[in-house]
Amino acid sequence: MASATPDQVRSLDDLGTIVDTDFHLTERQEDIFPYLESPFDEMLTASGGDDYGYLGRVYPAHGMVYSVTMGKADSETVRTREDILEGRDLIGWDKAIATPTQNLYLGAVHHDDLAAGLATAYNNWLLDEIIDTDEGIHGAAVVAPQKPVKAAEEVDRRADEDGIVAVMIPSGSVDPTLGNERYYPIYEACERAGLPIKMHNAGGTMMTRFPSTWKSMTRALPVHATSHNMMHQTNLADMLTQGVPERFPDLEFIVQESGLGWYPYFMRRMDHDYMGAKWDAPLLEKLPSEYLDDQFYLTSQPVEGADDPAYLNSVMRLFDGDENLMFSSDYPHFDFDNTDALLRILRSEFDGQALRNVYGETAADVYPFP
Amino acid sequence: MSEHTSTSTADTTDSDRDDRHRVADADELPEGDRIVTAIDGREIAVFHTNGEYHALSNYCPHQGGPACEGLLSGTLAVDGDDELIWERDGGIVACPWHGWEFDVTDGRHTASDKYRLPVYEAYVEDGTVYVEF
Repeated sequence: MASATPDQVRSLDDLGTIVDTDFHLTERQEDIFPYLESPFDEMLTASGGDDYGYLGRVYPAHGMVYSVTMGKADSETVRTREDILEGRDLIGWDKAIATPTQNLYLGAVHHDDLAAGLATAYNNWLLDEIIDTDEGIHGAAVVAPQKPVKAAEEVDRRADEDGIVAVMIPSGSVDPTLGNERYYPIYEACERAGLPIKMHNAGGTMMTRFPSTWKSMTRALPVHATSHNMMHQTNLADMLTQGVPERFPDLEFIVQESGLGWYPYFMRRMDHDYMGAKWDAPLLEKLPSEYLDDQFYLTSQPVEGADDPAYLNSVMRLFDGDENLMFSSDYPHFDFDNTDALLRILRSEFDGQALRNVYGETAADVYPFP
Repeated sequence: MSEHTSTSTADTTDSDRDDRHRVADADELPEGDRIVTAIDGREIAVFHTNGEYHALSNYCPHQGGPACEGLLSGTLAVDGDDELIWERDGGIVACPWHGWEFDVTDGRHTASDKYRLPVYEAYVEDGTVYVEF
């Protein structure tokens, strides 16, 4: 038997060090409240007053019902070093960077000063009870985007702590978005400290920010580059979940002007989530991607990666573009595509029938031309 | 995992049949409970739910999680009036790793026939729970 060369990997054991860059703690606010500093410790822990149930959680609830939320599926708790070591045994990492769960919602905490205080408390707890570099347990210091100057101070304070290897911004709930100059103190502090910034969203925070995201997108470029595919994904995900293609099985949809690569991603992402949440889309009788394949079509413009044949040809295959893609120019809009932008690439790997489909025969099937 | 889960090794020595494997005394497996056991190197869960016994592989076809150690509940469906209804209560187990749901009566994933937990015959005879394969 031939021996393995140094570059040949047969199993995880051949990889050397495995670093898990997003291993979650499932901290509760009661874990970190004892680590609050003044005045927030007095503010939140001294009083036994009636909070009408509101202050029971200072992190806004997103209100979404997941299978774990509803007690349909159980999930591991990771609130101690022992819990972490159990998880290490399963995942098999040598080093991990611990990321929070509840504090992914820190950016949604309504009281800005308290948010900064909670970040401090979380980091105190992280350093006192969680981080253990001998066991490979590292962490990201969390900062509150509501208070960038305080956040920068928090970075300075934690920068030299053993085991702090990153700073995490709960990016799903930032307002305004992260290009705004108000965040530059955080960036300066992290750059100075040599700490990378982890951006991590939480499912429940992002949708609440969409209206204000529009407000903070003060330039056209970021809006145009992201919003077409974001809005399509949002609509398609909702239509699929509510069973629209199942309710209207003879109806076809044409998804336009959003580029290509997000579409095969979205098909697989929907399938991935759906397999663990079938109960949330009870009307569906097949995979989301199968409905997309059967009743939805994508039009080509604006073709991204037209100078990258390996990319474009593979994207084309990943959603059976020979059956599901239709040429569009978008003329005279300023990002219109020349008619042969696709052809010049695709002709190298796709046959005449595939190209005739893209350029007209699929459209002839979809649209009721007289 | 679930406090309703206990692990044991099925005893085949007291049987003169090698296709039938003793799992437990029937009173060790009350309604709503389950036993996860090893038979011939396979991890098999035996459920007693809705008055019936069901045996399934405890290996999730998704990423190898202990599918049958998850919570047992029902699932949502839509009735003829387009209203959400709860159905198959006590008949759906959700894998604790990623929440993939399987019907314990036939092992099928609720969303796709491509994924199915192998099922085995399970029954009670003379106060003893058996799995047969």
